[in-house]
Amino acid sequence: MVLCAPLVSGFIRKIKNNLRMRKGPSVFQPYYNLIKLFSKGQIVSKHASWIFTITPIIVLASSLCVCFLLPIFQPAFSLNITGDLLAIFFILALGRFFLALAGLDAGSSFGGMGSSREMFISSIAEPAAFISLFVIGMNSGSTSVVAVAGVHLFRVSTLLAGLAFFMVTVAETSRIPVDNQETHLELTMVHEAMVLEYSGRSLAAIDLASHVRQIIFFTILSWFLFPFLNDAQWQWLQFPFKLLFISTVIAVLEISVAKMRLFRVADYLGFAFFIALLAAVVACMGM
Amino acid sequence: MVLMFLLSGFLITAFLMTIAKRITALIRTFRLQSLFLFFYTLSMAIAQKHIEFFIVSVLILILKVGIIPYILTRIVRRINVEENLELLVNPQLSLLIALLLTYFSYLFTYHIMPFGMSLESAVFVVSIAIICIGFFIMVSRMKALSQVLGLLTMENGIFLAATAITGGMPFFVEIAFFFDIFVFVIIIEVFVYKVNHLFTHIDISKMKSLKG
Repeated sequence: MVLCAPLVSGFIRKIKNNLRMRKGPSVFQPYYNLIKLFSKGQIVSKHASWIFTITPIIVLASSLCVCFLLPIFQPAFSLNITGDLLAIFFILALGRFFLALAGLDAGSSFGGMGSSREMFISSIAEPAAFISLFVIGMNSGSTSVVAVAGVHLFRVSTLLAGLAFFMVTVAETSRIPVDNQETHLELTMVHEAMVLEYSGRSLAAIDLASHVRQIIFFTILSWFLFPFLNDAQWQWLQFPFKLLFISTVIAVLEISVAKMRLFRVADYLGFAFFIALLAAVVACMGM
Repeated sequence: MVLMFLLSGFLITAFLMTIAKRITALIRTFRLQSLFLFFYTLSMAIAQKHIEFFIVSVLILILKVGIIPYILTRIVRRINVEENLELLVNPQLSLLIALLLTYFSYLFTYHIMPFGMSLESAVFVVSIAIICIGFFIMVSRMKALSQVLGLLTMENGIFLAATAITGGMPFFVEIAFFFDIFVFVIIIEVFVYKVNHLFTHIDISKMKSLKG
């Protein structure tokens, strides 16, 4: 799963470029980037403290740790007892917390700005994410990952929560209506501003972690959107198609809408929050 | 399963309409909702194999997806309304109100159909919710055109409620209904032109005093 994580990013980039009538880099370009970055030395600002050096490790470790909690191919292979959706989100939030601290730590103005924006977005994205997770928990009976990934119920509330979670996913994986991964323009970057100070091996670790985080979000989203495709024994065949579908939708969305102003993001995520709340109400109705 | 998609589609479009900030966005969302209504009647037609349902669904496609939004956009283009719709309440609060309306419609349905949630009563809940939200859109907007759209949304809800309870009204009632709506939109078009000509705006809040 870690190995195929950059492939998803490369794939989204390829679709976007093809739709813009460009050729674009190969699908494997993120791998080349990672290899290049891993083989380079890094520069650490002399104002930075230990938080700056420890952050890439924590971020990568939190993403990888969540990977082990997700039952993708075989439910038996994952850490069944501890796997809980809320735990997953809190572990990912730990990584983000340290990333924000590191952005502040280096003392550059861009890093601080990126951290404040990232925390602003994630603090309003989180309620929507949690409520939609609670909804799918209500539908499946518990918030344990294995139970949630095994639901076969197709309900109105699951679909609504899926839409809310989709909107959250777009925000959390820093895709276009909220953030732009491709830019380094100071007015528009959010995630990129935070990691601007990093180079070499640390940057590679953070990049890999964000690829993995993206695939984690897509996996959780696929439980919402395709509850009828959750058979455990066919998962190895279905999973790539689910990822393919979600990344195609995200890529098309990314090239067809313009980036929002930062304060419109609050409205956007507020809408996601209320859709999630609606899903909860609908789930209480038993639909 | 298709029905689940359509029901959530109805709810989402109704919620989008309560917070749409621009009149073209409002019209586009109405068009989407009518498209969902078309698919709903089409699926019912396929399930029940009534030729009348096919005709009704095609009528929905022509009138509500095609002609009515077209006429409304033409009005917008011709009288140059400024795009921004003033909302009386801010978006978050109006979403909350729409949510409460949905919940009340559920309570209402639960009281008149107390035998568990079947699929029909789910459709009924959604339709009552859409009627209430359409009414809310009419109340909470300043512009005359958005009130027209609120009324049309209510009409979508009423149609949905009728099919949920009775499995479709008699064919001629249906036809008369569509004709009514069509004529209503035409009259509204002329009326809005006239209002715009007299007052040079269509803002309701400024229409409190009489003008000869």
